[in-house]
Amino acid sequence: MKINGVAIEDTFAEAFTMRVARLLITGRTLGWAREAAVKLTGFATSVIGCKCEAGIERELRDDETPDGRPGVSVLFLTMDKASLPEQLIVRVGQTVLTCPTTACFDGLPEAPDRLPVGKALRVFGDGFQASKVIGGKRYWRLPVMEGEFLIEETFGMLKGVGGGNFLILARDADAALASAEAAVAAMTGLPGVILPFPGGVVRSGSKVGSQRYKNLIATTNDAFAPTLKAVTQSQLPEVVNSVLEIVLDGTDGPSIEAAMRAGIRAACRPGVQTITAGNYGGRLGPHHFYLRKILG
Amino acid sequence: MSDAITLTLMTAPTQTLVADCIAADRFAALSAQAIAALPVVHGARPATLGDFFRVRGERASVVRIEGDCARIEAIGSGMAGGELVIDGSVGRDLGVAMSGGRIDLRGNAGANAGGAPAGAARGMTGGEIIVRGSVGDEAGARMRRGLLVVTGDGGRGTGKGMIAGTVVVCGKAGSGTGRFLKRGSIVALGEVERPATFRYACTYRPPHVALLLRYLGARCRLDVASAQVTGRYERYSGDLAELGKGELLRWVGE
Repeated sequence: MKINGVAIEDTFAEAFTMRVARLLITGRTLGWAREAAVKLTGFATSVIGCKCEAGIERELRDDETPDGRPGVSVLFLTMDKASLPEQLIVRVGQTVLTCPTTACFDGLPEAPDRLPVGKALRVFGDGFQASKVIGGKRYWRLPVMEGEFLIEETFGMLKGVGGGNFLILARDADAALASAEAAVAAMTGLPGVILPFPGGVVRSGSKVGSQRYKNLIATTNDAFAPTLKAVTQSQLPEVVNSVLEIVLDGTDGPSIEAAMRAGIRAACRPGVQTITAGNYGGRLGPHHFYLRKILG
Repeated sequence: MSDAITLTLMTAPTQTLVADCIAADRFAALSAQAIAALPVVHGARPATLGDFFRVRGERASVVRIEGDCARIEAIGSGMAGGELVIDGSVGRDLGVAMSGGRIDLRGNAGANAGGAPAGAARGMTGGEIIVRGSVGDEAGARMRRGLLVVTGDGGRGTGKGMIAGTVVVCGKAGSGTGRFLKRGSIVALGEVERPATFRYACTYRPPHVALLLRYLGARCRLDVASAQVTGRYERYSGDLAELGKGELLRWVGE
C-alpha cells in the first residue's frame, strides 16, 4: 500500500488501556486558560518517567464552557485508577489553582467513576471554602488572593487508550520533521485525542528494557536509530536517515483511529520513505491499530 | 402512565386551602383516582383534592397546575423529586421543607416559600424553586440547601436565618434580607437593604454567580442580562451576629 509514493507497512500500533480524565479550564481570556493548561500538561509526556500523560485536546469557545468564558480542554491519562486522582490533585493544585482568573470543570460528566479532585483541593481554603450545588453538581469556591477559584467537586474517569503511534521513516531529518509537523497539524484539535510529546513529536522512541543496564525499564530504540544501522539489527532501509514518531493517547479506540488516519495521510510527503508503527508483537497491549486497515 | 399530570382548578376555594399533598414525586406512583382522593383542608374542614381540581394523567413525576391558586397553601410541601409547574399565583408555604426536584411558578408566591414548617429548624434542604414573580415575607427562611430564584421582588426577611443554599432576587429585596444568615448566599440583582450586621468585604466577579446565572438562563430560560452574568458584585459577609459564613452579593454593574 502506498500513499503519495510513501509505503505503508503492513503492521500495527500496539496501545494500552489507561485511565483518562478530561478537564475544562476556563479563564478571563483564552490566553490565561491556555497558560494554565500548558503548565498543567507540562512534563507529562510518558508514564515511563512522568507517571502520567497529558495534553491539550482543543480550545473551547465561550459557548462550549460551563461559565461562558473561553477555555481549553485537557486530557489526562495514567496507567491505573489510583494514580489519576493523585496526579490531578497535585498538578491542578499547583498549576490551575495558581493561575489568575481560571476555573476548572469536569469534561466527562457522564462517567460513573468519580475522582474527588475539587473535594481534595478545597482544604486549601483553610476552612473559608464554600460549596455550591448548581444543576445537580457541586462546586467548591476557594478564596484566593485574586478573588475566588472555582472547581468542580469531582471529575469523571473512563478507560482510555494510550500509546497509539506511527513512525515516519524519511530520507533526511528535514523531510522527517516537515512530515511530522504536517501530521501534527492534521491531528491537532481532533476530538478525544492528545499528542503528549513536545510539539506532538518523539525523536527518541524507546524499546522495553536495556541490553546493557539491568535497572533501566526503557532505552533507545536502536533498531530505528539511523546512526546505529551498521552496528545493530536495524529495521531501517538503506535510504532512511531520520525517524520521528507520533504518539497519541485518547478517550477511545475510534478517536485514535481517526486521528492516525488524518495524521498518516498528512505525513505522506516528499522525502518520506515509509510509515510504520511500534508494537510488541501484540503481547502487551490490547489495542491494535492496523495501519492499512485504518487507511483502507 | 402519562407524560405529565395536569391539575386544573375547577372550583375556586372560598377559604384557605391547605394542599400539602401536591408534590410531584408523590404523584409518580398514583392513579388519577388516587390523586383526586388525596386529603386537603379547606378552611378547617377536611376535603379532597378532587373537590377542587380536575385531574388528568397519572403516574408521572411532571405535574402541571392550572388556575389561580392564590388561596392554596403548602403546594410542593416536602417534595423530594420531579417537576411541578404552576401557571398562576399560589399562597404561602410553597415548597416548604422541600428536599429535591423543581418547582417552576409562573406567578407570585405568598410568605415562607422554600421556608420551614412552623417550629422546624430547617427550611428546604434541596431542589430548586423558580418564582417568576414576587414572593411574600421570609422566602427561603432557614433554608439548609437548595436554590430559590425570585424574578420579581422579595418580601421582608428574605433568606432570614439561612443555614446554607442560595437565594437569588432579581427585583427589590425587602428589608431584613439575609438577617441571621449562618452560611449560604443571597444574590441581589436589584435593590437590597443590607443589614447592619453584614460587613463589606470586596467588589469582584464571583465565578459561581456567572455559572449559576448561565445555568438559570439555559435550564430555566430565565432572562438574565450578560452584564449580570459577567458583572461585578459587592460582597458583604454576614450575618456577623451569627456564624458569619454567609454572604450577600449585590450586583453593581458591568
